[in-house]
Amino acid sequence: MDGKSLEKKKSNFKLSDTLILFIALVVIVVVFTAIRSEFFSYDNISTMLKNMVMTGILALGLTPLMIARGLDISFGASISFTGVLMAYLYNLGIGLTFSLIIGVIAAVIIGFINGLLIEKFDLIPIILTLGMMSILSALGLVLSKGQSISMLTDPLYYFATKTFLKIPISLFILIIFIIIFWFIMTFTKVGRTIYIIGANPKVATLSGIKVQKVRILLYTFMGLAAGIASIVMVSMTGVGNPLAGAKMALPVLSAVVLGGISLAGGAGSVWGTIIGVLIVSVIFNGLSVSNVPSYFIQVFQGLALILIVSLYEIRNQRAARR
Amino acid sequence: MADTELNVNKKSGWQKINIFKVNSIAPSLVIVFIIMCAIFGGINPQFLSFVNLKTIISGLSVYGMMAVGLSFVVLTGNFDVSIGSIVGICSIVMAMMFNIEGVIMPIPVIVLIGLVLGSLVGALNGFLVTVVGINSVITTLGTLAILRGISLLLANKPALIGNKLYIAMGRGFIAKAIPYSFVYLVVIFIVAYLALRFTKFGRNIYQVGSNANASRLAGIPVKRTQFLAFVVAGFTCGISAFLMTSQAAFAQGEFGTGFEFTILTIVVLGGISLAGGRGTLIGVAVALMIINSIANGLTMIDIPVFWREAFNGIILIAAILIDSIRVRRRELLKA
Repeated sequence: MDGKSLEKKKSNFKLSDTLILFIALVVIVVVFTAIRSEFFSYDNISTMLKNMVMTGILALGLTPLMIARGLDISFGASISFTGVLMAYLYNLGIGLTFSLIIGVIAAVIIGFINGLLIEKFDLIPIILTLGMMSILSALGLVLSKGQSISMLTDPLYYFATKTFLKIPISLFILIIFIIIFWFIMTFTKVGRTIYIIGANPKVATLSGIKVQKVRILLYTFMGLAAGIASIVMVSMTGVGNPLAGAKMALPVLSAVVLGGISLAGGAGSVWGTIIGVLIVSVIFNGLSVSNVPSYFIQVFQGLALILIVSLYEIRNQRAARR
Repeated sequence: MADTELNVNKKSGWQKINIFKVNSIAPSLVIVFIIMCAIFGGINPQFLSFVNLKTIISGLSVYGMMAVGLSFVVLTGNFDVSIGSIVGICSIVMAMMFNIEGVIMPIPVIVLIGLVLGSLVGALNGFLVTVVGINSVITTLGTLAILRGISLLLANKPALIGNKLYIAMGRGFIAKAIPYSFVYLVVIFIVAYLALRFTKFGRNIYQVGSNANASRLAGIPVKRTQFLAFVVAGFTCGISAFLMTSQAAFAQGEFGTGFEFTILTIVVLGGISLAGGRGTLIGVAVALMIINSIANGLTMIDIPVFWREAFNGIILIAAILIDSIRVRRRELLKA
């Protein structure tokens, strides 16, 4: 009974958090529209949403993982590598479906290896995935000899460009992802287990939850997300580029952290993450549309990350003092 | 609880335990290094030539300085992934000082500006981590992006350095054999080693890293120690920037990109435990030699450059696996 009241309190708290973020999002959109009216045009919004698909899928994969106190930063390199792998296999004449499936399986295996090593040897996630990152990006470069491999096919082109009811088809993948993750995290036992692990891994172990297994599963899931993001990447660019994912880490991590996930685990929600992704995408797109040099965008992303996390941290400290 | 108390008692008697001898990784690293040299030398005898050894030794200092700085941060149980970007911004600012129209800045002032800038950035990282309380990975990831962006913005003009003396400071040799840069590195290593070993600050670093809670209870200024570790890291990045600009005779916004990864590999391979509080700079010195010789040796035996990064990744993962196994064994012994 006590747990139930606690849960209720927590969910209220999260809603208000998400609401604040949502208001911030609206304000940012209004500001950009005021600066440049093109920002709010259909063309720009649909481009922005299309570019958001990849960040969104990755951020969603990262959400349960980070709630359970895991972390994976190798996803960018995983995208580069699997993208190159898919294009390489396709050019060998294996056929589209098979090359895509093998690419996704490779990404899933990478996620599984990450999870297995981190959990079985009790490693610090960021360091192991940093090592994995360099291995994967090197493998991608070796496989492609440093150049992009083209992979132009009708189905992928269709997937990347066509719209349904004026909504880009690729966006539906993200929507499906959102629904699945939201459902799992909110209504299932698995979701609650993940929150318990994040809140206190020791208590979770003592209460009979197989913490290691759950986390390995989440790392594997993160791999799956990277594999699917890789398909989206290949379909949008038409090439398997060994450097495609190199700059993914900062926007995705910013989005997730913006959405209220802390590295200490236990906190965060799917909706928070989605709004975080929206804010990051809007900032990035808005600055680009306003002709701000890309270096400034990088500075801005870093500033936004530190600022938001500082605010969360200061508020948490205040709450703790009370 | 009992465990913490035990730790406090153990740690307060500093003389009783010698962190520097227990489980030292340095001897095994030396063996690895010798085997590696034998393999590279066997495939390509040029690897062991005097000229190549000189190249390897001249190349040590930029990474070496940063490895010393990062060791301080990791020993206190934090991370700093912004070190590459700190080198970038210090480099570009120092090179710009040479190009101010109508003003000729004296070299010591320029070097000082670089060092102070590096320390200030380190202080900013330290402030965000200790006072605001953000996780050090997130903090430095943010400053990484910010600093890199600023350096790229500043570097829109070519920043060449024409000062002969300044260039000689990084490129010169003593008796045509020992690079100046190597001398600076040795000096920094010795100073840092002695500081960690014999000063109160050094002891605090180890104690904060091995158990922050117990240290606070024992009256050690935990936050100040962590903050100073970040400042040290920033300062050493300033030195690296000085060496890089002097050796390259120019600077660009990309200087230092991706260094953090190599440096982290060196530090972890050198036996500085990621859990904090364990490891010595001797191990780091040997690891530095290993990593630098691998980069050089792979080129000498004609392995494509793309593989180098994969090698570093494999070494990093192997190093943290060993670290984890050692920690586990130590815990077993304790129990």
